[in-house]
Amino acid sequence: MSISKDGAVENARNDLAKRLNIDAADIKEQSVEDSDFPDMSLGAAEDGEMSGQMITRGWRIRLEAQGKTYEYRADKNQVRAYKFKGKNYRI
Amino acid sequence: MNRNNIFIHLALAFVLILVAAFAGQLNRWQKQWKSQVRIIPAAEKKRPATTADIAFSEARNFGRPEVLVKFRSGVSQATIESIASRFHDRVEDRIENAPGWESIDDLDDADPAATVAKYGSLPEVEYAEPNFEIELDATDGPLVPVRPSDPQFAEQWALANSGQRGGKEGADISATLAWAKTTGSDKVVVAVLDSGVDYTHEDLAENMWVRPSNMAPYHDDELGTIDDLNGFNAIDNASDPMDENGHGTHCAGIIGAEGENDLGIAGVNWKVQIMPLKFMNAGGFGTTKDAIEAINYVIDRKKAGVNVRIISASWGSTQRSRALEDVIRKAYENDILFVAAAGNASTNNDRNPHFPSSYNVPNVISVAALDRHDQLASFSNYGPKSVAVAAPGVDILSTWLGNEYEEKSGTSMATPVVAGVAALVLAEHPRMSVDDLRKQILAASDPIVALKGKTVTGGRINAAKALED
Repeated sequence: MSISKDGAVENARNDLAKRLNIDAADIKEQSVEDSDFPDMSLGAAEDGEMSGQMITRGWRIRLEAQGKTYEYRADKNQVRAYKFKGKNYRI
Repeated sequence: MNRNNIFIHLALAFVLILVAAFAGQLNRWQKQWKSQVRIIPAAEKKRPATTADIAFSEARNFGRPEVLVKFRSGVSQATIESIASRFHDRVEDRIENAPGWESIDDLDDADPAATVAKYGSLPEVEYAEPNFEIELDATDGPLVPVRPSDPQFAEQWALANSGQRGGKEGADISATLAWAKTTGSDKVVVAVLDSGVDYTHEDLAENMWVRPSNMAPYHDDELGTIDDLNGFNAIDNASDPMDENGHGTHCAGIIGAEGENDLGIAGVNWKVQIMPLKFMNAGGFGTTKDAIEAINYVIDRKKAGVNVRIISASWGSTQRSRALEDVIRKAYENDILFVAAAGNASTNNDRNPHFPSSYNVPNVISVAALDRHDQLASFSNYGPKSVAVAAPGVDILSTWLGNEYEEKSGTSMATPVVAGVAALVLAEHPRMSVDDLRKQILAASDPIVALKGKTVTGGRINAAKALED
């Protein structure tokens, strides 16, 4: 099923809330930008993952919580946490 | 104006018409004569040609007269006769409609080039040339560019860059010249290791590999028996490699969208067999383990008798896997070329390797991407020691899901261009070893200023050169 921009932001917010163990309402949406990512894992491959080396259009989502900024990357197929505590996660 | 003046004007007009007609005929005679002695240069792109087009044979001298000599104006016929006599030659014929030109018969039957040099050095001579024979020959000689009938071919700058959309004319892989020699072979099988392939696509269906009826289905001790009629799906170890993303279908079209079928685009190969292998999902990503399984499948089918000689791998990551490296080496031992995307992080692979393209295995060709201006694509990885060659990879039009066509960019798109050229070479040289194939492709690249110090060859792939003997 295709993911919308709003849907991607909501998924990202819920994921971050879970990871930080906080309420989703306490997470602020800093920015959501259209972006070209270097590959089909949106430049956020998980361990052991290979991805198509095609420039992929998606959204760069920046969320703010507990005084820190967290980046998520998304397109119509997926939402990924980018370097959350040094690691990438597909959610 | 009186009646007499009218007649005078009419008479004058009639005379002028006659003079013009005569001059026109003279011009036509001269052109005809020139066309009889002129050899069409190989690279001349005067008009689109088709496979049915003739190639002009290599220029060679035949019979008599042996040389054509143009004497300077004012040189008398007696002087010309005297010169010919002195060289023990004979003036064979004056060429009407071409003032000053004489055809000379060398009675000693010397080398025509020597005779041309002999006459060319005389002060009385303006120009001398061999009397070329022009003959129709379907196989030998300089190549005439061949253009397919596919309606969107004009947009395929990677194959024929005419400067469309502001690009640099000639910044392409010289596909139209390569096609004068071969448009591919359905005896060559290329494995597209990707998100699968839409094998029902109207521009691909005719070029899809299907397991021969006399070949047993794929059997793996762990996976069991899989009916690999249309290829292999390593994600769920099933038979259906149908693409759910589009990426693999795009790569397949670059290698082998059917050519000259009045549909869509042409692949680097008009005829080839694409073996679809699916290890990436609808999102365009997959696991190293599934990639390894798919490569094992290719090796198995090779051993079973399928002429699969190339794996096109438009994917990767920065994580090294010894197991993946080992299976690629196993493919090498089975004479299979492995063409891999250099990656899209704009980084130097010599310092920050990208896999599988950075594996130091003899069958790997790592491919960077070029744009339509012959510049390294802004996103492309590079590496003077680890990235072998570059190919067009920006705004590449190819097949997409649902009988569609889309433009995409990435080293993903450059990779199948090289895999496609490898397939063309194998169509011409079916027994070529993987070592020689790799060497042939890299040696045939065109040096590009922008690639100096960026790749091993510093060049853009050239399909026509790769086909040279």
